[in-house]
Amino acid sequence: MAVDTTKNPVPFEMAQIPGPEMAKAYNTAVIGAILKKAKRPLLVVGAELFEDPVIFDKAIEIGKTGVPIAATAHSIKGFVERGYTDNVTMIGLHPLTNYLRFKDWQGLDGKGQYDVVIFMGIFYKFASAMFSALKNFNRDIKRVSIDRYYHVNADMTFGNLAFNVDQYHEAVDEVIAKLKG
Amino acid sequence: MDKMEGSFALEDMQNVQINIGAIVKEVDEWDQPMGPFPYPSIATLRDWDFKIMNRYKVFYSPICDRCTLCTYGPCDLTGDKRGACGIDQAAQQGRIVLIAVLMGCTAHAAHGRHLYHWCLDKFGDLPFKMGDEILVDAPLTRTIAGIKPKTLKDFGPVMSYVEEQVSQLLACTHTGQEGSFVDFESKALHAGMLDSLGKEVSDLIQIVAYDMPRGDEDAPLVECGMGTLDKKKAILITYGHNLAGSAEAMFYAEDNNLWDKVDIGGVCCTAIDNTRICEGIGHPDKEFNDNYRMVGTKAKIAGAIGWWRKMVRGDCMDCIMVDEQCVWTDAIVDAEKYKVPLIATNEKIMLGLPDRTNDPVDEIVDDLVNFRMPGVVVLDPVKAGEVGIKTAIAVKPKRAEIREADPFLSEEDFKKYAESCTYCHSCQFVCPPHIKIGDVVRAAAEGNYEPLSTTYEICVGCRRCEQVCPQDIPILSLYAYANREYIRNQKFKMRAGRGPVKDTEIRRVGAPLVLGTIPGVIAIIGCGNYPNGTKECYDIAREFVDRGFIVAATGCMAMDMSLYTDEEGKTIWEQFPGGFDGRNICNIGSCVANAHLHGAGIKVATIFAGRNERANYDDIADYILNKVGACGVAWGAYSQKAASIATGFNRLGVPAVVQSHSVMYRRAFLGRADKREDWEIIDARDGSKVYCEPAPEHMLYVAESVEECMLMMAKLCFRPSDNNSGRMIKLTHYCDISMKYFGCMPPDWHVYVRHASDLPLKWKEDMMKELESKYGWEIDWKRKAILSGPIRKSDVSFDPTNIERKIRVKK
Ligand code: SF4
Ligand code: SF4
Ligand code: SF4
Repeated sequence: MAVDTTKNPVPFEMAQIPGPEMAKAYNTAVIGAILKKAKRPLLVVGAELFEDPVIFDKAIEIGKTGVPIAATAHSIKGFVERGYTDNVTMIGLHPLTNYLRFKDWQGLDGKGQYDVVIFMGIFYKFASAMFSALKNFNRDIKRVSIDRYYHVNADMTFGNLAFNVDQYHEAVDEVIAKLKG
Repeated sequence: MDKMEGSFALEDMQNVQINIGAIVKEVDEWDQPMGPFPYPSIATLRDWDFKIMNRYKVFYSPICDRCTLCTYGPCDLTGDKRGACGIDQAAQQGRIVLIAVLMGCTAHAAHGRHLYHWCLDKFGDLPFKMGDEILVDAPLTRTIAGIKPKTLKDFGPVMSYVEEQVSQLLACTHTGQEGSFVDFESKALHAGMLDSLGKEVSDLIQIVAYDMPRGDEDAPLVECGMGTLDKKKAILITYGHNLAGSAEAMFYAEDNNLWDKVDIGGVCCTAIDNTRICEGIGHPDKEFNDNYRMVGTKAKIAGAIGWWRKMVRGDCMDCIMVDEQCVWTDAIVDAEKYKVPLIATNEKIMLGLPDRTNDPVDEIVDDLVNFRMPGVVVLDPVKAGEVGIKTAIAVKPKRAEIREADPFLSEEDFKKYAESCTYCHSCQFVCPPHIKIGDVVRAAAEGNYEPLSTTYEICVGCRRCEQVCPQDIPILSLYAYANREYIRNQKFKMRAGRGPVKDTEIRRVGAPLVLGTIPGVIAIIGCGNYPNGTKECYDIAREFVDRGFIVAATGCMAMDMSLYTDEEGKTIWEQFPGGFDGRNICNIGSCVANAHLHGAGIKVATIFAGRNERANYDDIADYILNKVGACGVAWGAYSQKAASIATGFNRLGVPAVVQSHSVMYRRAFLGRADKREDWEIIDARDGSKVYCEPAPEHMLYVAESVEECMLMMAKLCFRPSDNNSGRMIKLTHYCDISMKYFGCMPPDWHVYVRHASDLPLKWKEDMMKELESKYGWEIDWKRKAILSGPIRKSDVSFDPTNIERKIRVKK
């Protein structure tokens, strides 16, 4: 049975209510399909990975499917420690989002702007604000969260799974399976 | 002032002449000619702002997509929608930013205005003297207003200028006024500059009036921490930013020999300012000087703002005096609940309490001591001080009587509450630093208090958890109970605020700073909303002091970094000297004192480089942006004042890094390293254009972790003017911090290499190989020289500027 990631669509910080346009919570099959279909996806991971290190391995699995990884804060360290840095780039979340909002940016590899960004393991309030920047100032990029939180400013997100670690891990695995399949 | 032909004096602005035609000298001993922009108005420095924003893109992350400011609203501004009035999302964000910066600016300026009136009332007009070692004595006032104050009264027109500009700026936020985000931001930068000026005036007035240290690197070490408050005495807490009432309480205690009966503990910046009183070069009023010499050392620092509610629950007070700014508005609710009488001493915070300013002291005290009212307003600082001391002493035994029957939390209550937790996680949904409170409380129920003690310093005391807990568990009281030993032992030393940087210090560090051999000035400022606890204040400071940066702290971060010691039990203030120099740490003072950090930058330009600062803001800012490697950090930034402080730093060319909650400020200034044209700089020697490395790369930057913060601060100290050994030193720290916390080199280190001698010695060989193999640079291996590859050649006499009028000879 797949994890129901559409439950609990409540902002993790309850007062984060931006306005009329709020994220929809999707199941893992739909999110996986969107990632698979993306032409220029970018996985963005942050320092919260250190609090649940198994997510590093899951990020690497995603990386191995060909999705490049932006390692924000000092999360690059986790990839270095695991000996996987092939398509991982160290960059701050703030400048990265600044680049993402400009249509003329050529990406971390110089090959063009991204069409889907996927956030995972980033401090909630910061991630939410960066989604908001893209929601308001570059609507060409699809905003996907596969973090353990309901992300109100994303296009597509899980509901809150912050208090059920096992289910969260399972949900990420399901997305990865879909991506690989 | 003698008027000369073709000039006029601005009304009410003594000593200011704006000339039409030739430059006119003011008739006083300050022989600097008036610069181009005395008392700049909203549009005066707009060109400079646009230069900043062309390079550092205005970046918005809206927190709210709507506008609800007028009756047409609510308007949805998401994406490319516009409100009924025509405003778009970017401009609306700029509008909110401007309002926030104005809130901060007015808080500082109004503080200064209050002190101005009060000090003139109390002391009369005093000569403005900063001592023999500070001749460039009011750098922001000189640079912005173009005047050199001689007495306290001379600051009057400066305050009037700030007030007029603020009123003009606030008007711009009305519906149907400004409509462009860049202009909103130019206005915000203007407000940030006014903020810095207001702070300078505030601090200079109190330094002179209360004889505070003037750049004293040996300012005394004072007691800091909840444990320093002596429970055998009555404890009067003075909370806020404006020392007027608090100082009078100290004078009253001194006059009446009451220090053995009462302890005065400050919270927030009042704490810092209390401990600076009468430690300077001597007060001009001899009697005052004799009576109160070094009285500041008798006051204690109870703690920074983040500790307020922890102090309340930790039972650390018998009476509270509040003045202004950052006073949690439920202080009166707590005061009433815990039977701690409260005296409001400033018109800005009156909390609905009766104004007893004109009543006899003993009547007020009697009402407070008998809990007939939870608090009073007393606007006369002298009377408020006396009421505060008398109430604290008289109420202490009464409170003890009541409390014996009703202690805050018994062991039994503690257990009962902890066991009632249903592990619903409602608390964790609202906790700013994401403490897993459910787990912490559950552990406590099982008798394990360890999590309550390890997360105590991480908790910012916001009380949001308690408000959502369906079981009504007083979580902060659980913390207080489990940490009562810690509270008792929270005893540390902090260096009293030393005030401005001395001219002699600038002379010593000017050249190494501009050449880069002192790798930078790290300005640690601001409040207590840390993403991961107070310890990170200490870690940031230690990292940069150890690396030989000049580290200068102000405000709550200065207090919070005092709570940690090295293996020998020494706080950072005891480990390092207090000068403005490499491997030193100075506490400049309270948050208004951080104007002296702007001042230090200005002084490098004037004292070291011989630039005229007078009414010459953009020139000085341009110098600082290109040549003074400095970076601010507000790791606990919470307030609108922090927004105005950072914006004021930015207009002066100093970048700042803030913590992840600071996305709430909505706006950043971020560079695009990929756009070569953004980094074109003029060589002032001949007007030629040079493409430079992105230095500094950003102006206002939110970091996600403290590791990223430290790396970014090191990087934001790069300047185009660095000489080879300076760049090598800076690059070494940048790469070294990256290796230490990130496990690898930063991906852009090569961008900062202009010449082989820029390369850090410890990685030189490997780096040259990588430049060749990975980036395709041409290397002459025999000479160990770089032949081609860098963005630009290194050139020792390059004179970078962004201002056309600085070009000396046109090519
Ligand atoms: S000020 Fe403008 S955007 Fe705001 S509610 Fe009124 S019409 Fe709408
Ligand atoms: S009071 Fe402390 S534990 Fe409670 S929500 Fe605030 S920060 Fe978290
Ligand atoms: S909200 Fe109260 S009951 Fe729920 S987990 Fe937190 S402390 Fe326990």
